[in-house]
Amino acid sequence: MKLTFPHMGTLDMVLSDLFSRLETDFIIPPKTSVKTVNLGTKHAPEFACFPLKVTIGNLIEGLEAGADAVVMVGGIGPCRFGFYAEVQNKILRDAGYDFEMIVLEPPTTDIKDFMKKCKKIAPKKTLWQIFQAVRVGWKKAVAIDEVEKKVLKTRCFEKNFGDTTAMHKKALAVLGKAITPREIQMARDKALSVIDGAKKDFENNPLKIGIVGEFYVLLEPCINFDIERYLGQKGIYLERSVYLTDWISFSKKNPVMGLSNDEVAKAAKPYLSHFVGGEGQATVGHVVKFAEEGFDGVIQLLPFTCMPEIIAKSVLPKIHRELDIPVLTLVIDEQTGRAGIITRLEAFIDLLWSKRKKKLSIVG
Amino acid sequence: MIGYLGVDVGSVSTNLVVIDEKTNVVAYIYRRTMGEPIRAVQEGLRELKELLPLGIEIGGAGTTGSARYLSGVIVGADVVKNEITAHAVAASHIVPDVRTVLEIGGQDSKIIILREGVAVDFAMNTVCAAGTGSFLDHQAERIGIPIEEFGAYALKSQAPAQIAGRCTVFAESDMIHKQQMGYHAEDIIYGLCQSLVRNYLNNIAKGKELLSPIVFQGGVAANLGIKKAFEEALETRVIIPKYFNVMGAIGAALLAKERVENKPETSFKGFSTSDIDFKTSSFYCKGCSNNCEILKIEVGKEVLARWGGRCGKWEIE
Amino acid sequence: MKVGVPRALLYYKYFPLWETFFSELGAEVVLSSPTNKRILNLGTEAAENEVCLPVKIFYGHVISLKDKVDALFIPRIVSVEGGAYTCPKFLGLPDMIRALDVDLPQIISPTFNLKLGLREFYRSVYELGGFFTKNLFKIVMAFQKGLNKLDSFENLLHDGHLLNEALAGRFFPAPKGRLRIGVVGHPYNIFDQYISMNLIERLQKKGIKVLTAEMVEEEVVDKIVTGLQKKLFWTYEKDVVGAVFHWLDAKSVDGIIYVLSFACGPDSLIQILIEHEAKQQGFSVPIMPIVIDEHSGEAGLVTRLEAFVDMMSRKVGSEKS
Repeated sequence: MKLTFPHMGTLDMVLSDLFSRLETDFIIPPKTSVKTVNLGTKHAPEFACFPLKVTIGNLIEGLEAGADAVVMVGGIGPCRFGFYAEVQNKILRDAGYDFEMIVLEPPTTDIKDFMKKCKKIAPKKTLWQIFQAVRVGWKKAVAIDEVEKKVLKTRCFEKNFGDTTAMHKKALAVLGKAITPREIQMARDKALSVIDGAKKDFENNPLKIGIVGEFYVLLEPCINFDIERYLGQKGIYLERSVYLTDWISFSKKNPVMGLSNDEVAKAAKPYLSHFVGGEGQATVGHVVKFAEEGFDGVIQLLPFTCMPEIIAKSVLPKIHRELDIPVLTLVIDEQTGRAGIITRLEAFIDLLWSKRKKKLSIVG
Repeated sequence: MIGYLGVDVGSVSTNLVVIDEKTNVVAYIYRRTMGEPIRAVQEGLRELKELLPLGIEIGGAGTTGSARYLSGVIVGADVVKNEITAHAVAASHIVPDVRTVLEIGGQDSKIIILREGVAVDFAMNTVCAAGTGSFLDHQAERIGIPIEEFGAYALKSQAPAQIAGRCTVFAESDMIHKQQMGYHAEDIIYGLCQSLVRNYLNNIAKGKELLSPIVFQGGVAANLGIKKAFEEALETRVIIPKYFNVMGAIGAALLAKERVENKPETSFKGFSTSDIDFKTSSFYCKGCSNNCEILKIEVGKEVLARWGGRCGKWEIE
Repeated sequence: MKVGVPRALLYYKYFPLWETFFSELGAEVVLSSPTNKRILNLGTEAAENEVCLPVKIFYGHVISLKDKVDALFIPRIVSVEGGAYTCPKFLGLPDMIRALDVDLPQIISPTFNLKLGLREFYRSVYELGGFFTKNLFKIVMAFQKGLNKLDSFENLLHDGHLLNEALAGRFFPAPKGRLRIGVVGHPYNIFDQYISMNLIERLQKKGIKVLTAEMVEEEVVDKIVTGLQKKLFWTYEKDVVGAVFHWLDAKSVDGIIYVLSFACGPDSLIQILIEHEAKQQGFSVPIMPIVIDEHSGEAGLVTRLEAFVDMMSRKVGSEKS
């Protein structure tokens, strides 16, 4: 059995680490490209959400590359994501692919089924060994995210254009090689100091922008036009509402973002007082948090037709009125062009600078 | 005399403007891009030079529009700015207390909200052409009335036809339907204007507070039918600036003037840039799986600029 | 007290219950007028562009109603059965309306979530009733009466009456034609005559007997959806899938019209299940999806309906001969 899986940011790195620990054969599909998107758009229904289209493209490319099994996670709604695996399965079969579909439903729904699936993924390992592998792999995943968070925060200070990105690559390579918990711990510290290796100029007082939205488009630079790198290289300090481990984690405490789900829900409450699936309420909560922390603006990434993000977008005008924080919503799907995104970002940056200057002139 | 050059190259039109030190417009050119931005800029410059009074010297140059980087290289721009900022700058310069800018161009349309001279919100539409000049051009062709006469026709309308649909395709089929039902041309035309305005307000201007003074600019502002439809829908007067169709270029010129104040000398290459043989080519970067298309502009063997990659490794400006 | 109920979305599911409950507690129920062009325009102006058509319509009804009432009833209906949700949009609806930059009357928006159990559910009922009376007994009685009303409404549907007729309490004899067409989709799309452009009436005028998902018994639906590989976690989509699968299996209709609204999240995925199943069954019953949005034109619908009906009559004719 050769497993494949969809891409999502650094997920391939985390999963290859895990599958290697489990001695499970796997194939990483080619990085998400225009071809991937085209494949997905061809097979998925027109107004399915964009992540579904892209991941279908990933799976096709993975199966074409020789995989004969797909691993996905399920869900219990109400966001469509919980139904992805089922729909992917049907679409790929209707398109003539033969493969085994392994869907990991949340262990809280059916713990026996969950363990059965785990055994299926790692037939050579006992459940205890699987648990250990996940435990150690998790440490690495957190380290990868910590490095990413640092990159976002410091890229704006780099003296030489592109340094931070190069150091990020180096840092990930360091982490990639670590295997034992001790090695991971050391690699983490080293990776974080590698990022510091890029020459920095902390003198300037950069614009601060928070990035929120649906997790898939947030985490996958191939799909979001790598806007974090673009903004960072324009000298903007960034923070993001969700990292890969925040999303995977079943616990309430988010390890990387640093805010617990409860805190975020509480911040969202005056504007969206109930969860609505996906990151809908988190998006709202983080906008409020960013506003409270004095960020200059927020960018929301919304995959076309995404229900939770549309709900979030619907309540943003009220936040804008009450907290005076500019929010730019970028709707992303296969028809979105890079030029349009860049023009909006440039204009948004201009707007935030002039807003800040105005504020300063009033204060001064 | 010192002049400042502004160049706005969009997918439909290419506009060039020279303003003097008192920011008066000295000369301007409005021409079609015809899919060849380099030629449009070069020929535009040549034509512009003919219009300029003797003894004027360009002290600064700015570019804007979707081809702003390309045209920036060709003219040697001191400042390259996105068209939203350029339009806002121009509008607030001409109508200092402007609070709303409606801009409808050939391929895209935007709205900019300003408060006390500062842009505080904006939105633009580029995906769909329904709220843009192209849509009107297309329909003018279909009805067989020159677009220039559209406005006059629209003003004659007594009972405008209700034309549905924000989408060009739907609007078109509905329009054909109305034609076949025997509506007068002027009523259909004004109906189209109203439909365009309605769609603009529902899509681009959604949720924005449109306070007057409202400035309406961009090529479509030439159409009096649209102006009237805006005034009816917004229940207020709409100001159309004198140089409504080259406001982006004026904004770029104003920004250039501002920039060179903090700069020893301009990067402007002179009007002779019209005679240089710029070559553009593109290739796909194989550096990673993104396979970005990289655009390259050369003169002879010298590479003047490259852009298009996501990572920035090809960028030279 | 005048309580406004927007004639949209879950009105088509639960209005008999709501109306009875409020009236029993002494409130006057004010319903917005049936959807019309003005309401549609109000909705598309107020709602974000990305919002689906039925929710835009809901916005329109709210705005058309807001100045005529003392309070608006916009419940947050999270879950109406243990294992499933309604739709994310229903979970956020009261907040979406509150975010509007217009003057709104008081919004009564209790949360109904059967996932949390019956106790929590009844707590919400008391909370809702508390707006009108402190008398708990009265609230319980009113709710029971409402439930009875809802039951008899649903029985009418199961007996084969169309939803709009059952809501209005006026019944017309069904056409006696040979052709039977199943029309599925969300009731707020199909039975909003402005949005569906009188789809059902148009079919009936052609002498076609129309069946809808509401007529399929719950037990039948439950049996079908429990057989699915993956549990469906949207209640109202279960009804759609259950009805279509049942018709496909029992061959009890000659054709199926599946009405979807553009940008409807759940519909976009359910469509795949239905297409997959139809393929498995060898396309023995033709299915025509009709996607509606605010731009849909009547001419397009008429042409497609005629073609579909022609196709089926020819097929049925050739099978009979």
